[in-house]
Amino acid sequence: MTPKKPATAQRSLRRLIWIIVFAVILIIFSYGWTVTDIDLSVPQQPQRQINVGNALRELLSPAVFTQEYEVTVSTTTFTIGCPEDFTPPEVTPVDGPYIVVEPACADANELVTINGYNFAGDQLARLNWIDESGERRIRQVVGRDEDNFVTRDDGTFSVQVEVPRIRGSIGQVHTIEAQGRVPSGAPELSATTGLVFEKMLETIFLALIATTVSILPAAILSFFAAYNLMRTVRTPMGNLLVNLALLPLGFVLGAVLLGALGRLTLTIGAGGETSTAALSGLFGLASVASARSMRTSETNGTTHMLRAILNALLMGIGALAIIGLLGGLALLFGRIATQGILVYLGTFIGSIGQLIELALPLIAGVVGAFTLSSIGGTLTRDLLKTVSTSMSHVLGALLGGICGALLLAMTAMLGSLAAWVGLFTPVAAAGLGGSILPQLYRRFVPKPLEPSRTDGLIMTLLGWLGAIAAFVVTYSVLNVQRAVVEGSLPSGRVAFSVAGFDVTLYMLDALLIGLVLGALAGGFAGTKSSFPIGNVLYTSTRTLLNALRSIEPLIMGLVFVIWVGIGPFAGVLALALHSVASLGKLYSEQVENIDNGPIEALLSTGANRLQTIMYAVVPQIIPPYIAFTMYRWDINVRMSTIIGFVGGGGIGFLLQQQINLLRYRDAGVAVLAIAIVVSALDYASAFIRERYT
Amino acid sequence: MLIIENLTKVYDNGLVALDNLSLEIPDGQFVSIIGLSGSGKSTLLRCINRLIEPTKGRIIWNGLDITAATDDELRGIRRRIGMIFQQFNLVKRSSVLTNVVSGRLGYMNPIFSLVNYVPAQEKTRALAALERVGIGDRAYNSASALSGGQQQRVGIARALMQEPEMMLADEPVASLDPATSHSVMKYLELLNKDDGITILCSLHFLSLARAYADRVIALKDGRLQFDGLPKDIDNDRFKAIYGEDAVEVEIH
Repeated sequence: MTPKKPATAQRSLRRLIWIIVFAVILIIFSYGWTVTDIDLSVPQQPQRQINVGNALRELLSPAVFTQEYEVTVSTTTFTIGCPEDFTPPEVTPVDGPYIVVEPACADANELVTINGYNFAGDQLARLNWIDESGERRIRQVVGRDEDNFVTRDDGTFSVQVEVPRIRGSIGQVHTIEAQGRVPSGAPELSATTGLVFEKMLETIFLALIATTVSILPAAILSFFAAYNLMRTVRTPMGNLLVNLALLPLGFVLGAVLLGALGRLTLTIGAGGETSTAALSGLFGLASVASARSMRTSETNGTTHMLRAILNALLMGIGALAIIGLLGGLALLFGRIATQGILVYLGTFIGSIGQLIELALPLIAGVVGAFTLSSIGGTLTRDLLKTVSTSMSHVLGALLGGICGALLLAMTAMLGSLAAWVGLFTPVAAAGLGGSILPQLYRRFVPKPLEPSRTDGLIMTLLGWLGAIAAFVVTYSVLNVQRAVVEGSLPSGRVAFSVAGFDVTLYMLDALLIGLVLGALAGGFAGTKSSFPIGNVLYTSTRTLLNALRSIEPLIMGLVFVIWVGIGPFAGVLALALHSVASLGKLYSEQVENIDNGPIEALLSTGANRLQTIMYAVVPQIIPPYIAFTMYRWDINVRMSTIIGFVGGGGIGFLLQQQINLLRYRDAGVAVLAIAIVVSALDYASAFIRERYT
Repeated sequence: MLIIENLTKVYDNGLVALDNLSLEIPDGQFVSIIGLSGSGKSTLLRCINRLIEPTKGRIIWNGLDITAATDDELRGIRRRIGMIFQQFNLVKRSSVLTNVVSGRLGYMNPIFSLVNYVPAQEKTRALAALERVGIGDRAYNSASALSGGQQQRVGIARALMQEPEMMLADEPVASLDPATSHSVMKYLELLNKDDGITILCSLHFLSLARAYADRVIALKDGRLQFDGLPKDIDNDRFKAIYGEDAVEVEIH
């Protein structure tokens, strides 16, 4: 066997593959060409060229300025049909503007010449034809598309017009009127410019508010979406399950109990009774402060546990008291600040107060959920640590069952809102089911010390198998098929009620599936296994951000316009939501680019996650965060110019109206303003970015 | 007393960094860990404060099982173990003082960090720590403005804030020139002699180990190759640790 032969064969094979690849690419591209309706003959049609020329000419002549004019009117008479006794009127040259028509009589449709003298030089003028009844019609000059014409530099003109055909007008004496005009005063900005300026300002602030509002949520989300921070975060399964199981209960308790406390301090704050308000503020601060003085020391045992529990409770109570009081004070301020410049401040702070008032049950619920799960964690920590291996699996099954049931019941509750959201339930079930078989396999085959490809493959396959099985079972038991195909919601038949809350049969089914799957998954894992909570948070945050980012703000704008009506508020909401997703992604990439050394150093000193982030991550990311926020503001200004097209306020709304009314000169003003503002902002943001990175 | 029992670390890519390593280190010793790059020195140090999770084995320090500690307990243990790094691992944009104060975070209320509040006594403590390593005048400079040797001393001051009982030093002088290396090593020696802090210091150069360490531990492919007094490393042992072609270089 000679070595050359296979080489040649290989080479020709490679060549053939290249030719095929090229042909396929060519076919794909040509299909794309056809699909996009590319037809080079269309732009060459004369009518279209004229139309586009007109539109462009108007767009490029934006009506930025207006000018006041003094109009001079000169008239002469004209007889139609030339009667026999006709004598042309005497024309005596005068100092002011005057016109002469030649001939002074003619039949309809004949051309006559009108000469003008002593008009203002190089100015627009126009001709009117006034019939015997006094009706005035603009007469277009021969050879002009427009109603007006331009005088010569010396103030004369000589234009031809056609004698109009007016019924029964033979022998009548008509009047020809020439209107010349002289600019008076300096040109001024037009009313359109004023309107555009006002709307542009609205646009810039729309973008500013949307950007600022999105910074904090985006920054918080960005830490969860940063792989280098989340990769290493793991938690023992037992603690996680205890926390998860207690979250809903804590939420309800918090919303009721802490919510009532928050509402009380809110009323106190809004009431404006200084002494009571100060007292409740002191109460809140004292709770937080005593919680702080009781901070966990290293001692273990019952006292330590009691302290930690009291600590968590006091923190929750103090936080809600203070939040409620602040909300109340904000409401109070909004009510009393009604003078002068304070109006803006009052409205702003007042609506923050309203926001707190609205969100109070939610805040209280979240605080309650975390307080209760922290207490639960403290109570069970020692138990979970000392429990025997077999007991840890029993506990795992118990807790896993509770958590699985809660998880699936909650997704089912969401699924009762919109048909396709019902898919969450089988997906969550698949997540649980996917972990069962690999763990079962691990029971029998211990993890090889050397990583093995077959072992990994088997684990992956088993994982998928379990996930698909769980998905299919849940999908068919809950009849998600019907929801997906028909778009109809699952039936709301109530199985039983707990404290006024209806549990539907649908939720009960999901709950039972979750109970079984969760118990199996938790049981095999045991409470002592470590759960990669960081990876899960990372993946879900990333997925959420990517999904949100892929929805254009224009589409979000459509929904928000339905919700809050046409206007800049809808635009702010749409842009803010999109900015959260987009900034979150950009920020998280900056977090991933930082020097990880300081993180390692601070973790080694015994700092917790929050402290590590505040001291090792935040100082490193401030410059890129500023840069990207500026960049985002820049993008948001551009986006807010078109968000108005769907009713989101700002200059886009005006632009759309002008375009619909075919007022291209006015639209030109808006386009010009957008170009100026966007490029100015582009320079500014580039400058700031350069300064800070 | 630090007791390491059958410590094994296998990385996800299959690399066995530590292979069934057992050691006992009494309090107050200055231990130098030597070996080629990749012999497991860094992994060993990072397993001790669990910056890296060991695959197998136990680490027991003063009766506490570090390998079994929960997150809370681990933070309590970590704040009593200082660590300094080859790349110093300072936040370059922050001030020297902030970098040093961050060594105290394990003792402070986490809520403080949200509002960037540092109690006055901790600031005083940080300034004292900086005085101790001879750069008290640089407290308000940004960390990036300091030379390599100064940055490593900031690293030591940061570790001092923890009031550590043990100090892990991961090739603390590998990025420094010989003269600066000695000055940094002298500070470690001072902490060992004056404060009685146990020091575990990985080093590239045997000469530094000879000059400062009470005891030398040599690793090769994650296994213990030598454990004894620095003066007992003769030419044969040297070649066993560093390979046949190695020649010992002096660093003055």
